[in-house]
Amino acid sequence: MSGRMPSLVAAGVCALLTACSHAPTHASGKRMIVLGIDGMDPQFLEAHWSSLPNLNRLRTEGDFKPLATTIPPQSPVAWSTVTTGMDPGGHGIFDFVHRNPSTRTPISSMAEVTAPARTLTIGPYLLPLSSGGVKTMRAGRAFWQTLGERGVHATVIRMPANFPAVDCEQESLSGMGTPDLRGTARTYTFFTDDPAENRKEVSGGEVVKVKLERGRAWLRVEGPPNTLRKDRAATSVTVIADVDPVADVARIELGGQRAVLHRGEWSDWFHGSFPLISGLKSASGIFRIYLQQAHPYLRLYVSPINIDPADPALPISTPASFSRTLNDAVGPFYTEGIAEETGAYRAGLFSRAEFLTQSKKVLSDSLRLYRRELDSFQDGLLFYYFSSVDQNAHMLWGRYDDDLLEIYKIIDGAVGEAMQKAGQDTKLVILSDHGFARFDRAVHINTFLMQNGFLQLDDPKNVGDQELFAHVDWGRTVAYAVGLNGVYLNMEGREDGGIVPAVDRQIILDRIAARLKEFKDPATGENVVDTVYFSDTAFQGKNLKYAPDIIVGFRRGYRASWQTALGAVPKDTVEDNTQAWIGDHCMAAHLVPGVILSNRKIAASDPGLADIATTILGEFGIKNGPGMIGRSVF
Amino acid sequence: MDWINAGIDGLLKLYFAAFSWAPPLAGLAVLSAIIGVAMLWVFGKTSDQKRMKLVKRKVYASLLELRVFSDEPAVSWRAQKALFGANFRYMGLALMPALWMAVPMILLIIHLESFYARAPLAVGREAIVTMGMAPGWDARSPVPVVTAPAGVEIAGPPVRVEAAREISWRIVPRADVSGQLVFRVGGTEIARGIEAGRTQRYVAGRNVRSLLASVWDPAQPRIASDAVEWIEVEYPEAAPSAFGVRLNWLVWFFAISVLAALVLRKRFGVVI
Repeated sequence: MSGRMPSLVAAGVCALLTACSHAPTHASGKRMIVLGIDGMDPQFLEAHWSSLPNLNRLRTEGDFKPLATTIPPQSPVAWSTVTTGMDPGGHGIFDFVHRNPSTRTPISSMAEVTAPARTLTIGPYLLPLSSGGVKTMRAGRAFWQTLGERGVHATVIRMPANFPAVDCEQESLSGMGTPDLRGTARTYTFFTDDPAENRKEVSGGEVVKVKLERGRAWLRVEGPPNTLRKDRAATSVTVIADVDPVADVARIELGGQRAVLHRGEWSDWFHGSFPLISGLKSASGIFRIYLQQAHPYLRLYVSPINIDPADPALPISTPASFSRTLNDAVGPFYTEGIAEETGAYRAGLFSRAEFLTQSKKVLSDSLRLYRRELDSFQDGLLFYYFSSVDQNAHMLWGRYDDDLLEIYKIIDGAVGEAMQKAGQDTKLVILSDHGFARFDRAVHINTFLMQNGFLQLDDPKNVGDQELFAHVDWGRTVAYAVGLNGVYLNMEGREDGGIVPAVDRQIILDRIAARLKEFKDPATGENVVDTVYFSDTAFQGKNLKYAPDIIVGFRRGYRASWQTALGAVPKDTVEDNTQAWIGDHCMAAHLVPGVILSNRKIAASDPGLADIATTILGEFGIKNGPGMIGRSVF
Repeated sequence: MDWINAGIDGLLKLYFAAFSWAPPLAGLAVLSAIIGVAMLWVFGKTSDQKRMKLVKRKVYASLLELRVFSDEPAVSWRAQKALFGANFRYMGLALMPALWMAVPMILLIIHLESFYARAPLAVGREAIVTMGMAPGWDARSPVPVVTAPAGVEIAGPPVRVEAAREISWRIVPRADVSGQLVFRVGGTEIARGIEAGRTQRYVAGRNVRSLLASVWDPAQPRIASDAVEWIEVEYPEAAPSAFGVRLNWLVWFFAISVLAALVLRKRFGVVI
């Protein structure tokens, strides 16, 4: 999922230094390798075994089964279940986006930032006197924490929903949910002097108009807000782009770093030092630049500013020095949670070919880290997460299978390397968190609620794409939708100005569920919803503070619209998905299972994601901890 | 100036060659120690050693006074003043030897940059070569033709930077190279060295046209064309390492030379 998610994460840039005590772990003698391949789909595998020799060999020599996903089948939810062995009711993550129960505004489900409680003002500066912090929203113990307590060494690279990396004795690098240096999910910048480009805000980024003088453009690349200043003015560095007067080539310069880029070329990493107090303190970030064209107009893309692994401004690894160790070993690498540039592709700024090139660069970076970890793996557990199948499937599913197969083949190669490393004595598990389906029709759930009398606008004419419930009349609204699967009641005492009394809750839930099950696509007459889940009964855990009251399980082909995710109420209930994001999985859980493959036979007949933590701990002779609901798949 | 530069470079190349069997830091360490001793000798010859000895005694006396009479503000204050004055006098006395040493040291450091400050280009990694053009250059005029030695690829057309009067090429070394890039500008050919590979070696800085600039960039023959002011290959920084410690060569140079001078000052009978 892309899209900007304003947060206070950047507030921590200046104030945060986390400490993590690291007692050495001893060798357990056992070894296990687990590869998490986000979005690997069982049906796609079944259709392409002949092109995926390593996965096929794993299937024939070991085992392969569908892996039941979570409700809802969203990556942060699913990987949190993998991490903790709990269902969403246990770990407390129910969507990419939660809502603040009192204000109903969307918030990040994965991490929360607290600003320093006490500060000292000196002129324009605001110096923290107490530490701020970033904390994960996920409850439960990560399996590698438990392994560490039992002296089993584990290396966990890029586990989603693990930002900030949980304090532990193990080596870990945070994954999905890690913000860019600006504190957003990811924000790229597209600089151009093209008069035809008049947009400012686009999917996942911003367009900045520039003026060339004698072939030179000064590009202000924005960094984190300066939380050491009262006005929180954005920090920045200035990149100079010099365009050749005739040829389609430009020279890019930042400080002493230079790159000559021809049309369609990517730079290596630029290092930017974003000043917080001039000459004294700065935040370090890295970014890549892509010259789409120099003529007739300059069109130049600057990637989101990644937290510099060599000098991380936020806690992206344990121990804190681990990201620097990785940087020293393989060079700079993407640290943002999701680095594939789906946003610029969705915005029409990138072509499919450009998206594929960029996403292969991300995968290439990831493979360098992966090989380093695989080479150095000696003992205990190695977990490595790949995002590329998922992100490419979102943009290619069902329409560009050959391109998607290329990504699967690269992953297949990585699996082959793991098989070689594992040999006979190391258990190898490949798993995915969910599968995929076409996303043909976008469902505006808030509009559906409005048409069924559960949501009221101040004026019925005020339907549209305005987000954050701009025209909702909360005094007359019973239910609203935020995120990709969630419907919330406007509860008295929970929502600010909520009107649904506790005694009416179940009646209203039943009424909404009944309407959802009858919900027909106006264009086709087909059912839109496959399954309706009530959070009260869908989960074993009772950590339901942020749980939607209803989780909507769409039929394949349908998904909540982008507008729904951020609280808009457009005119129609269902419309064609005309965006480049054509594949998805935020549907009924049983329709989009993931996969599990192993070099051992899988005994469980219906394995699920909650079984993975139990399986890993069990491999090292450790039983389930409190709240864990899985069983070993072997 | 050209023959002075060539002479210094020639001597240093001989020295560098004598240590070609050892890690770069070995030659640098020996050279730094020799320079340290040379500086010590010059310091001894060019400073007023008697007055320096007196001033240093005054400094020690003031420090002792501060320590002994720390609970007597008036005495402490007087000692502070005396210490400040003695320090000032010491700096005055050190000025003359510093002036004597400044020119040869600066020249030496400038020349040593080519041996220790720059690393050869990494094979397979892109690098930028930039040519600074003389005033009056037309950015739309044809770009100079570049011929690269075998093992170096010119990656695509250059970019003409009108605002800075520069032309930049991207090059990619494909093998270990120690050769010449040849630029044809108008009717003139300009050659400059290019080094790629893993072994530390002589890596020249800028080629320059003006005599004055050649004091600071002495390592290459001066440019004969009026159209070009300088040519530079952007080499990565070298950082000699020992026992896992990687530092800028100047840090090693000054640390070792100062250490050598401190250790041997009594043997040479020099007060510093």
